[in-house]
Amino acid sequence: MSVSAAMLTLTLALGAFAPQQAGSAPLTPELELRVQALGKLIRCPVCQGLSIADSSSASARAQMDKVRELIAAGQTDDQVRAYFVARYGEWALLEPPAHGFNLLVWLGPLALLLVGLVVVFRTGRPRKTGLVPVATPAAGEDKYLDAIRAEVDR
Amino acid sequence: MVCGLLALVAAGLVVVLYKGFGRDPHEVPFMMEGKPAPNFTLRRLDTGETITLNQLKGRPVVLNFWASWCGPCKDEQPLLDWGARTLADRAQFFGVIFEDTDENAREYLRTGPASALTQLLDTRSQTAVDYGVSGVPETYFIDANGIIRGKVVGPILDDRLLVARVDALSQPLEARK
Repeated sequence: MSVSAAMLTLTLALGAFAPQQAGSAPLTPELELRVQALGKLIRCPVCQGLSIADSSSASARAQMDKVRELIAAGQTDDQVRAYFVARYGEWALLEPPAHGFNLLVWLGPLALLLVGLVVVFRTGRPRKTGLVPVATPAAGEDKYLDAIRAEVDR
Repeated sequence: MVCGLLALVAAGLVVVLYKGFGRDPHEVPFMMEGKPAPNFTLRRLDTGETITLNQLKGRPVVLNFWASWCGPCKDEQPLLDWGARTLADRAQFFGVIFEDTDENAREYLRTGPASALTQLLDTRSQTAVDYGVSGVPETYFIDANGIIRGKVVGPILDDRLLVARVDALSQPLEARK
């Protein structure tokens, strides 16, 4: 980790001491539902895998305010997502879009499941070994077997 | 066939892991380079006068996001003050106060190191979000046409870096590539 990255990490950690501000006023219930749903999908830049809707950090609050502002201005969900992607890249999305390299992430588990099913199907079937089952020798055919049978029956 | 499928999936997983482990997951990508800097309308801390980025076009701008509660911001303050004085003919230096109160910022500027930067208040940090700021300090370098040429994440502690970044603002965009 470079010195600047270490310093930034320190700053972000110290960011907990930033004066806390309340979020902007909620919109109408219908619009606020969209704000919260979008906020759950946008990554907080200073947190460990938290969305901006779930984080109490100042940066997340500022971004939630921005989501509210854009929704109130009549922007669609896609436009709001595009706003954040334009500034923070697809890194900002907690649910990466299913195209290009991201397809591996979406289709990988499905491919693994299919491979697993194929393995189970193939190992579950009786094997074709080419061997002919051997018939049990009748009494008198094998003197050793006859001796064992006599011993067991005694 | 099963072996082939397994090899394919394993190769995919290796690629995913290589890409995943090959970068710092906390490093926020910088997407604004070469794009028009978002306009802002911010109030000066000292006079209360409103400043917009559009008013500043025609001369390069250095925009430093900082806060009084941020230790590394204090470390770079003397160098930025030097830059604002020494490089004033090449760029206009502004500080944008991030997630802080007017009182804290004023108190810091009154008692801390001198600052020749014009300080602007970003109430509710909406300008910071517009620029893609993910923490402080972050410094944006904007050319005379209002295009973001680059940014420095973390404190600027090397005067050569600051001079080089400011000088690059006066060069044509293509010349840098």
